[in-house]
Amino acid sequence: MDTLLLLLDGLAIAVQPANLMFALIGVLLGTAVGVMPGIGPALTVALLLPISLSFGATGSLIMFAGIYYGGMYGGAISSILLNTPGETASIMTAVEGNKMARSGRGGKALGAAALGSFFGALVGTIGLALVSPFMVSVALSFGPAEYFALMVLSFVTVSAAFGGSVARGLTALFLGLAIGLVGIDKLTGQARLSFGIPEMRDNISIAIVAVGLFAIGETLYIASRKVNVEEKVEAIKGSVWLTLADFKRCLVPYLRGAGLGFLFGPLPTGGAEIPTFLSYSTERKAARGITKKEFEGPDGAIEGVAGPEAANNASAAGTLIPLLTLGLPTSATAAMMLAGFQQYGLQPGPLLFTSNPALVWGLVASLFIANIMLVVLNLPFVGVWVRLLMIPRPWLYAGILTFATLGIIGAQGSIFALVLLLAFGLVGFVMRRFGYPLAPVLVGAILGPLAEEQLRRGLMINQGDWSFLLTSSIALAIYAVAAAALLGPVIWRMLASDKSKTAFAMDGD
Amino acid sequence: MSAETRNGEAGASRSPNSNKARDIGGLAIAAGLFMLAALIAWDGASYPVRRSYAQFGPEIFPYLVAAGLAIFGVATILMSLRNSFPPREPMNVPAVAWIVSAVLAKIVLLYAGAGFIPAAGTLFGFAARGLGRKPLWLTILVGLGVATLLYILFRHGLNLSLPNGPIERAINGLFRR
Repeated sequence: MDTLLLLLDGLAIAVQPANLMFALIGVLLGTAVGVMPGIGPALTVALLLPISLSFGATGSLIMFAGIYYGGMYGGAISSILLNTPGETASIMTAVEGNKMARSGRGGKALGAAALGSFFGALVGTIGLALVSPFMVSVALSFGPAEYFALMVLSFVTVSAAFGGSVARGLTALFLGLAIGLVGIDKLTGQARLSFGIPEMRDNISIAIVAVGLFAIGETLYIASRKVNVEEKVEAIKGSVWLTLADFKRCLVPYLRGAGLGFLFGPLPTGGAEIPTFLSYSTERKAARGITKKEFEGPDGAIEGVAGPEAANNASAAGTLIPLLTLGLPTSATAAMMLAGFQQYGLQPGPLLFTSNPALVWGLVASLFIANIMLVVLNLPFVGVWVRLLMIPRPWLYAGILTFATLGIIGAQGSIFALVLLLAFGLVGFVMRRFGYPLAPVLVGAILGPLAEEQLRRGLMINQGDWSFLLTSSIALAIYAVAAAALLGPVIWRMLASDKSKTAFAMDGD
Repeated sequence: MSAETRNGEAGASRSPNSNKARDIGGLAIAAGLFMLAALIAWDGASYPVRRSYAQFGPEIFPYLVAAGLAIFGVATILMSLRNSFPPREPMNVPAVAWIVSAVLAKIVLLYAGAGFIPAAGTLFGFAARGLGRKPLWLTILVGLGVATLLYILFRHGLNLSLPNGPIERAINGLFRR
């Protein structure tokens, strides 16, 4: 099959020294931000978006993908040693991982997590390479009605994903859509919601929205909490290298976790929470004998780390399928990567595979390379990353704010951008405090203008007749899935007696 | 994360009795949503009328968004009346004020032409102070050091254009030689 040939071409691009360097920078940054609680890959990509303009499209996208993968690796470290998940994707890792660390098997937990991440990402990336060409051939037949339906699906699912409140998710989405309206209308040149301010006429940069919501909003949220929980970093005890017996215990969880992650990654369900949760509960249910005792007791079971870690990396790879083939982001980080493509005037979708195969396949091939870099960085050098957990919070967040404002002012070249940044920061703070999810705002602001374009193009072709939206059977099927995604969480919540399970999907990764 | 630290004291400092009373904060959000919806609709109504094959001009999508915001404004009112927002921790108002004034100080200093380094240094100092590091002169001093490093790295390393003041011009003079 010529997928292999394209992948080899991509490999030739990915091993160019400059691109190797971008992949290395990406995985280093990604692991670092993954380790630190409160900063996720989505925020990091947002911070680098303005600065990376001089790196070129291929280089910066390779770097962003490295950040995404690295964040999934790094999240495990703080989950296991600090019991504070670095990102939502690592919540399930913290359950067994921290128990293992406290019972003196932290090294093993870290080792199982790193190998699981490697395995999950490997399976996911192979799947990505195999499935994408097929998706592209399907997507090439899509017209405005289908694309509009897909975007509605993306809107609905990212807002309604797993727990939280559907009403708050959709409110956040409409806020994002409103942000997307600002600026000159592409089809008619009409300035909208700009109130005569020149900086508002050419759209609000998505970097300002994301950095404001995540960096400023998160800092305000951290500062606003009076109770400072005393955090205890567990020392790494025991070797990070797995024995053969450990590896045998991990193998089946790896396979199951990677499978779950890859299945759920491409679905617009808002990231890695669902597959990691399912993987954990599967391992817990499948546990027998000594494993069952470890799951229930204070020791912690290695399977409970292995499965979710394989799942979250496989889902990161799976998320790239709808992003690359349809231009649909299904997680906050994927939304930021879409903004990264748009920054270079590229629109991910089926046409990108034919118009810019070098970029797409170079990116896919670099994912394999990034994954190898990550397992090397994470197994022997895990102690270095742990040091990052020791940075005092005031310096860390002051540094993040300084860097955030530097990026925005440097790229936008106007002080007014900082005023907008502060406004979005305050909005993000209020949203965090009242339990609104942040990811729908980003997805709304990025996809809103694209959805509007498809809708109005369709209306133009059909001379103002709205019924074109409902005549395509593919579009109708997509709407049915969207309706199920909207009602699913409501039904789930009615069935779930334990309300604590619905507290996921609150943070933006 | 907020759901993990569920403690008895729900509600913001303004409404200590919010377990039973209405949620004032939620109602304020609803008011904000209605205002935003009205603003978008008002702006959309001001666009000149165009005839096109689409029958609809640039105002159609804003109207849809405004309608959505209004609907969820109503939903927000219902949520506040039923107190279905997650419980909020008591807010550390001085810390939040420090962070907000950090960004405000940077904006004011930049508009005044002070340049990147003093503005970013002040931001860093105020922010670190807000998160509990004292004294302020020390945090600002550290901030000035960090800002100088960042300025040299990004202005001369990556060619990012940053606002210049007297200090920056002096540094740029050093680098030109």
